[in-house]
Amino acid sequence: MTKEKPEAWLPLTPAMFHILLALADKERHGYEIMREVDERTEGKMRVGPGTLYGSIKRMLNDGLIEELDERPDPDLDDERRRYYRLSDFGRRVAIAEAERLDKLVKSARSKKLLSARGT
Amino acid sequence: MNLSTRVYGLLLLAYPPEFRQEFGSQMLQVFRDSYRAEARSGSVPSFWLRTLLDLILTAAKERADRSGTKGIFMNRRSDTMVLLVAIGIIIIAVVIQRYAMRNNVAFILLFGYFLDALIVSGVIGNLIVFLLNKTTKLNPLRTAISVFAAVDAALLLLIVVLSSVAPVNWIGVLVGYLVSYVTWVGLHFAWRMPNRNQALNSQP
Repeated sequence: MTKEKPEAWLPLTPAMFHILLALADKERHGYEIMREVDERTEGKMRVGPGTLYGSIKRMLNDGLIEELDERPDPDLDDERRRYYRLSDFGRRVAIAEAERLDKLVKSARSKKLLSARGT
Repeated sequence: MNLSTRVYGLLLLAYPPEFRQEFGSQMLQVFRDSYRAEARSGSVPSFWLRTLLDLILTAAKERADRSGTKGIFMNRRSDTMVLLVAIGIIIIAVVIQRYAMRNNVAFILLFGYFLDALIVSGVIGNLIVFLLNKTTKLNPLRTAISVFAAVDAALLLLIVVLSSVAPVNWIGVLVGYLVSYVTWVGLHFAWRMPNRNQALNSQP
């Protein structure tokens, strides 16, 4: 059973938001999620197996992500891997978190902590 | 399956059985894939350190979630006493070890591996246990059991890596670490039991 309002989940933990971001454009298995986070953050955020699957367990329970019944490309992949994708509700939560962070960055900019170009 | 993957497979026992059943094989596969990538880039030690830290923190969290308990809180007096006893044991072990080495006391040097394990595992393990007890609401006894298992496993792994540089008496090392583990967990167990009984007796 999921809470109706995405805002009820905010703020997300960094690991959860990064996992939702990794799943925003396509379904992925665990190792692919780890690599995507690692590459996107240039190695600054590294998600270990415990954090990854602990977060996945909670997000599955809360209906933020779903496990795929079939693998996207069975010919090219190990059949033991499990794939996950963003649920509609998970996408709304990710958008709400991104908007929250955007407001935060705008506040930082207004306080001259960031330049207009974001550097 | 290489040695590191086997060791990680054993360390997964730190997680609750349901969690392991649901995600254990996936975690092992992710570990194997990550290990291969890290081995290619030559950064295995830092990878192991990150993985162990991740394991300690998340296994404790999963166990706390599973039991639904808020943990048995340490009061300040109990906290201070167990800390002093742990520091006392470490200091005594260091003094005995130095005395034996300086005077070449063969009888004490027979227990050299145990003293080494007691000191190193005691300093690192107790530090992590006390930090976790101060910053989380985890059950202190379960935390001690998991932390000392993980710390001893990490130190043994380090000895495996260093064994290529210097010869190692494996039986001595393993017995030393086993006795050290029993000593530290035994200390935390002995100290927590009265608190646990009190907590149980105070329930309606």
